[in-house]
Amino acid sequence: MKIVCLIKFVPDVEEFKYDYQRHVLIRENLKQILNPDDACAVACALMIKRSNPETVIEVVTMAPVSVSGHLEDLLRLNIDQAILISDIRFSGSDTFATTRVLARYLKQTTFDVILTGTHSLDGSTAQVPSQLAEVLGLPQMSNVVALDTSSFLKGKPSFDVEHDTSIMTFSVDLPAILSVSRDSAYKLPYVAYQDLNRDVSSRIRVLSHQELDLQPQETGLEGSRTEVRRSFVKNMIKKDKVILNNDREGIEAVYCYLHEHGFVP
Amino acid sequence: MNRCLILMDGNRPETDLELLEVTRRIHGESQIYTMGLELEPKDEKPSGAFDAIVNFECGSVPPYDAAGIAMGAAALHEMYGFDTILVPATFFGRMVAPRLAMRLGVGLVADVTGIEHVGMQLEMIRPAYGGKLMAGIVKKGPGPLMMSIRENAFPATSGTIKQTRRIVFPFDHQPSRMTFIGAREKPQATDIRDSEILISGGGGILENFSRLDDLKEVLHAQVSASRRLVDSGVASRKIQVGQSGKTVSPRLYIALGIDGSVQHMEGLRHVEHLIAVNTNREAPICSLADVVVVGDAVEFIDRLVKRIQLQELSGG
Ligand SMILES: Cc1cc2nc3c(=O)[nH]c(=O)nc-3n(C[C@H](O)[C@H](O)[C@H](O)COP(=O)(O)OP(=O)(O)OC[C@H]3O[C@@H](n4cnc5c(N)ncnc54)[C@H](O)[C@@H]3O)c2cc1C
Ligand SMILES: Nc1ncnc2c1ncn2[C@@H]1O[C@H](COP(=O)(O)O)[C@@H](O)[C@H]1O
Repeated sequence: MKIVCLIKFVPDVEEFKYDYQRHVLIRENLKQILNPDDACAVACALMIKRSNPETVIEVVTMAPVSVSGHLEDLLRLNIDQAILISDIRFSGSDTFATTRVLARYLKQTTFDVILTGTHSLDGSTAQVPSQLAEVLGLPQMSNVVALDTSSFLKGKPSFDVEHDTSIMTFSVDLPAILSVSRDSAYKLPYVAYQDLNRDVSSRIRVLSHQELDLQPQETGLEGSRTEVRRSFVKNMIKKDKVILNNDREGIEAVYCYLHEHGFVP
Repeated sequence: MNRCLILMDGNRPETDLELLEVTRRIHGESQIYTMGLELEPKDEKPSGAFDAIVNFECGSVPPYDAAGIAMGAAALHEMYGFDTILVPATFFGRMVAPRLAMRLGVGLVADVTGIEHVGMQLEMIRPAYGGKLMAGIVKKGPGPLMMSIRENAFPATSGTIKQTRRIVFPFDHQPSRMTFIGAREKPQATDIRDSEILISGGGGILENFSRLDDLKEVLHAQVSASRRLVDSGVASRKIQVGQSGKTVSPRLYIALGIDGSVQHMEGLRHVEHLIAVNTNREAPICSLADVVVVGDAVEFIDRLVKRIQLQELSGG
């Protein structure tokens, strides 16, 4: 059994601070973190490996070489190998171009299942997994919150998916792409103390456009079908407002306001 | 004539109208031919919103069969050559749109909340970085313009009533490799997006979140929350308003102890009346409110509930 996990490192947007005076984002000292949905996908793979130790887990990411340290942290967690797809030519890729690059690698490797996250924190399009599924001709499902290990090991996993108002259960014939949500209960374990400084660097394979045989026009800005023209902070429209105290008079005014607009009799 | 394909939402007819509104924002009022792709054929007479409604000859295609739907829609495109293809950014729509875009070899902009014409170019506006930034995105290369549209982001204006044609399109889909086994309701599955009145709590009412129910009862409303309360485990993610939660358009939104981060405000699309109760009158949400009540949220609930009950008692 081989599981490929597609992972992505994203800026920790929780740390983005907004300056209301100057209407700008403060982006200094942003650190990169493993996208939360993807962390759940990796944790889900580790759970399967605990029931079936022969399972091989490979994490695949397209990212700058600077994420190597993060990959090494993952490799200290019972993950077998990491593929780092890295090339300056790939920078600026939209989901279309990213899908092309990832698909090129995935077509030349073997796997039983691909686990991904559902959303990324930065672009948050949730497009890459479905686009890949189309290119690879695989079934795919987003928002997976639980995966049944025993049916998985038999080659036809059943799994739960969280939808707005319901939990749906599906099963699928492998190979398939299953995209895990951070609303699942899967959590990455901590690195065991004795592994903290283990040298795992030899288990990272770096691939560039040469190994993947990709032409310049297929990747990066040139290979993209969309382009971010500008980004801005949303303007909030100011309204004329009434300011009231939280007292008898204030509450009476609120009551009248609700009455005037038909919310109370 | 601009030909537009819209993937219809079988559950929420307003979504179809919102997507029709987007076609008008893109192409202007007159030069549009709109076709709705309906996955579950309905017997009832179409409402006259579309020029045509298409069903697949094979009958229903289940909404989770994204691969099948994308294949059928691509065949439809081959026949009609659409200029614009719009898909609702719903759970299933989000899995269909990327597949269709890949089949057609075109770019796809996700979760669009605005359309702007900048010079000769069309910018699709969407939130990024968790809603902290908005991004204006343009299409590159040939092929139809494609995007998924966030629900509730484009309130429908009424378009011309049309003589809707029904078209049966010859398409036979292969059985999906995905099998639907069953569904169970999540407990308390009332959808805050359908609520006219929302009583919403934030960090300022963390310890007294259950008290929102008092106001909810007398106003026949629903309760929602900011991300802060969801992250602290006080409220469920289903009722989270905001960029990573839901976009809501209630007529009345009462914000109790909510600071009003950009992400939270991203979820408030077309609120007619906003009342903010906050100890700090400088909180960002107050700059957007119609009415600001400066003070403690729990006291506010107590007083307002009493006032409304008083009126009910006197038969008002
Ligand atoms: C990627 C990303 C996505 C996000 N998505 C969302 C989202 O979808 N929705 C969302 O809401 N947030 C979202 N956030 C989080 C957001 O940035 C804030 O962290 C969060 O909204 C803060 O919640 P709050 O305003 O309720 O609480 P706080 O920031 O703690 O504010 C509490 C407010 O209550 C007031 N107050 C205190 N005591 C009282 C009292 N007794 N009575 C009345 N008022 C009182 C305070 O003055 C203050 O204004 C997101 C963040 C990121 C990074
Ligand atoms: N550059 C990338 N490298 C590897 N996986 C990715 C990459 N971009 C996206 N993914 C996968 O696709 C999921 C959705 O990302 P997105 O489409 O960007 O919202 C992520 O959670 C990852 O599993």
